[in-house]
Amino acid sequence: MSTPISPGGTEAPLVAPARLSLDAGRELWGAVRARLDAGARCVAVDLRGVERLDTQGAAFLRLAMRAARERGADLRLDGAQGQAARLLDFLRPALEDQPAPSPPQEGLLERLGGAVFERMDELRSARDLGVDALYWSVLAPASGKGLRWGALMDELHEMGVRAIGIVTLLNFLLGIVIALLSAAQLRQVGQTILVADLVVVAFSTELGAFLTGIIVSARTGAAITAELATMTVDEEIDALRSMGLNVARFLIAPKLWALLLVVPALTVLAMAAGNAGGYVVGIALLGESSVAWWNEMVGAATLGDMGQGLLKSAIFAVIIGLVACHNGLRVAGGARGIGLATTRSVVMDIFLIIVADMIFAVFFFFV
Amino acid sequence: MEPVIEVQDLVAEYDSVRVLEDVSFDVRRGEIMAIVGVSGCGKTTLLRHLIGLLRPTSGVVRLWGQDITQMEEDELDRFRARFGVSFQASALFNSISAAENVALPMRERGMDKELVPALVSLKLSLVGLGDAGDKMPSDLSGGMRKRVAIARAIALDPELVFFDEPSAGLDPVTAAGLDQLILRLRDLLDITVVAVTHSLDSIRAIADRVLMLAGGTVRFFGPLDAVGRSTDPEVRRFFRVGADASSPASR
Repeated sequence: MSTPISPGGTEAPLVAPARLSLDAGRELWGAVRARLDAGARCVAVDLRGVERLDTQGAAFLRLAMRAARERGADLRLDGAQGQAARLLDFLRPALEDQPAPSPPQEGLLERLGGAVFERMDELRSARDLGVDALYWSVLAPASGKGLRWGALMDELHEMGVRAIGIVTLLNFLLGIVIALLSAAQLRQVGQTILVADLVVVAFSTELGAFLTGIIVSARTGAAITAELATMTVDEEIDALRSMGLNVARFLIAPKLWALLLVVPALTVLAMAAGNAGGYVVGIALLGESSVAWWNEMVGAATLGDMGQGLLKSAIFAVIIGLVACHNGLRVAGGARGIGLATTRSVVMDIFLIIVADMIFAVFFFFV
Repeated sequence: MEPVIEVQDLVAEYDSVRVLEDVSFDVRRGEIMAIVGVSGCGKTTLLRHLIGLLRPTSGVVRLWGQDITQMEEDELDRFRARFGVSFQASALFNSISAAENVALPMRERGMDKELVPALVSLKLSLVGLGDAGDKMPSDLSGGMRKRVAIARAIALDPELVFFDEPSAGLDPVTAAGLDQLILRLRDLLDITVVAVTHSLDSIRAIADRVLMLAGGTVRFFGPLDAVGRSTDPEVRRFFRVGADASSPASR
């Protein structure tokens, strides 16, 4: 398609082909550059033969003009006709404009400072959200400004009832794993019955609450973030505010209360399911008697341990709720922003759950 | 001259409901064709067939003489570089700036790195947004978003551009500005345009020829001046022939 550009002497104009598009444009620009590099003060381009000029060709002409200007040389575009002339005329201001100065690069300190300020800003908004949520979840309902019971019921169903299957199954499986792993050790001392004690203690103090927290954060935390983020992007949050409805009361309080009820309830279920897993291993694989295993389990279960697990699960619930709402409401951008906010929410959930878990472990170790 | 688009006896059926029935027409090089009709008449379905997003039950759609209804998907993808589509809801990517939205197809098609910024700013000045490149889509008005979407549709210098409802949801002044933009692009870039629209103002401003659909069939196809001679009551009602003094027939 593109006829080659006739070489010509340094003074002869470069002749552009009939169709000045990507390939021909690149070739033409190369020729212009070569002449400029050779020290030409003025380069002429003959556009008489151009029948069709598209913006890709025009963009190469622009690069050529800029290169000429930078070297203090002159680039002349001669003889454009028809469509090419119309396009060049229209684009002339853009073709001749100076390139905008690129913004200065940020230094290391600047970026570091920016990150710190961003974190501080985020912490401030998290604090505001926490205060708002606390007020509308606890203080306002206590002083008679009601909770939205209908919304709470819906959330309980969605977060709780529908999570029963997955929470039970996964804790049952984890119970089997823990029982098998500890049996392999305890078999060496011939005390496989103690596996029952171990599973009970593990699930009531730690694993029931922990695994439930992780499941709920992945299932419900992610859903809350995605929902609030989509509402933010679609201006639904603004719509709520404009109707004088408080976001914390309308959206956050029902979710927080639902989580606070659901996570401990699921944790109780998780404890039972984990111990059921251990029981199956004990009876079917370790050959213990059902009665002996049951008595061992009941003997090992203490209210204190279970209370510790439930307390943790309540803290996890608050973490999940606040982190999910925080990330959902802070979303920026569109579809990609929602994805990022959801990812961030789940990662932050798991991080904070493990940190809180560790603090509890240290605390209860000394108490 | 060979038509850019040629459609013959196009039939589209979904769940045994006929959406398009025996639709035939052609689009010539350099013309602006408007596909018009009331909501639900099959305009957008027809557009989706023209750009190969839907496959017809029977019939032929030829672009530049080649039947796209039987084309393999990867062959069709290469073909799609030759036309651009501006969607109804703008469909800009919200997480990147206006300029990046326009640059995206260029980068994906492996265009020269140094060329892309120069080309993007030319495209943006073509659509009248020379200085809005750094803005995020959420900071732009509806009309500006449409313009960015159009700049993206012409990113690869297509020979044929489809517009789906270019002026939907815009005020009359902004809509008229977009009509002028379409006319200007046709003149400056020597492109062929197919616009799906229901706005009579747009049709009068830009269309060389009009294809009117109703109930999935072609009710009218020809230059706008010929609408007045149609005896079809539905066509007369849509174009308000005889209803007011400014009807196209009397102009």
